Amino acid sequence: MKKATGFFLAGIAGGIASGLFGIGGGVVLIPIFGLLLAFDQHRAQGTSLVALIPPTGLLAVLAYAKSGYVFWLTGILLVPGLFLGGILGAKVAKRIEPHRMRQVFATLLFLLGAWEVFGNWKH
Amino acid sequence: MTFVILLIGLCAGILVGLLGIGGGIVLVPALTHLLHMDQHAAQGTSLFVLLLPIGLGALLEYRKKGAVDFQAGIYCAIGMLIGGYLGGRIAVPMPSRMLTQFFGGFLMLSALLLWGKATKRTFESALPEEGDA
Repeated sequence: MKKATGFFLAGIAGGIASGLFGIGGGVVLIPIFGLLLAFDQHRAQGTSLVALIPPTGLLAVLAYAKSGYVFWLTGILLVPGLFLGGILGAKVAKRIEPHRMRQVFATLLFLLGAWEVFGNWKH
Repeated sequence: MTFVILLIGLCAGILVGLLGIGGGIVLVPALTHLLHMDQHAAQGTSLFVLLLPIGLGALLEYRKKGAVDFQAGIYCAIGMLIGGYLGGRIAVPMPSRMLTQFFGGFLMLSALLLWGKATKRTFESALPEEGDA
């Protein structure tokens, strides 16, 4: 039961980040699973994918849609690539050892963050 | 334009599978920088995309390796449903530019924390070195 509460609280934290940043929440869940709940990196990533199954983000989408912040058509067009790419990426991930996997994860995260912050400077 | 969007989807999808994430951390920067959406629109659209079961294919791959804890995932999902609503309520009234900086800073900070722990081997316990049956 104590563990269940931990997972639930992890979900709340992930959900806040999800709604706040328009993301799935995996970037929060995976570090929580990995660092606080001692999952290895692959297990953390696999379990995060379960939590991301719909309708996890439903309430967050509604909050944005009310203000007209959702571009539905663009959204739909993104789906097929995401689905196929997802399978491809998972196949690659299986070949990487857990230790290395966490470094890959952290590096990509950092680069994406830098892109957000510094990519905007030229506008 | 349509082609670009499809391509963004594919690239983001690869990262979904590779990293076990929803794809939003890739989609949001891609939508703002490549399609020039403003931050709120990018985040709203990203959330909408993530409503669909895009990660399902990737999830099945992880399950084959036994790297999924369904119980933990489900408890987490319940919390996320609630947290997602709270986060959305906070973000919508924020200025777009501030939200961008906030988002990028958040990603870089998470990366640094993770990198710091990536060198410690103590956390890699649970997964046995199994041959895929």
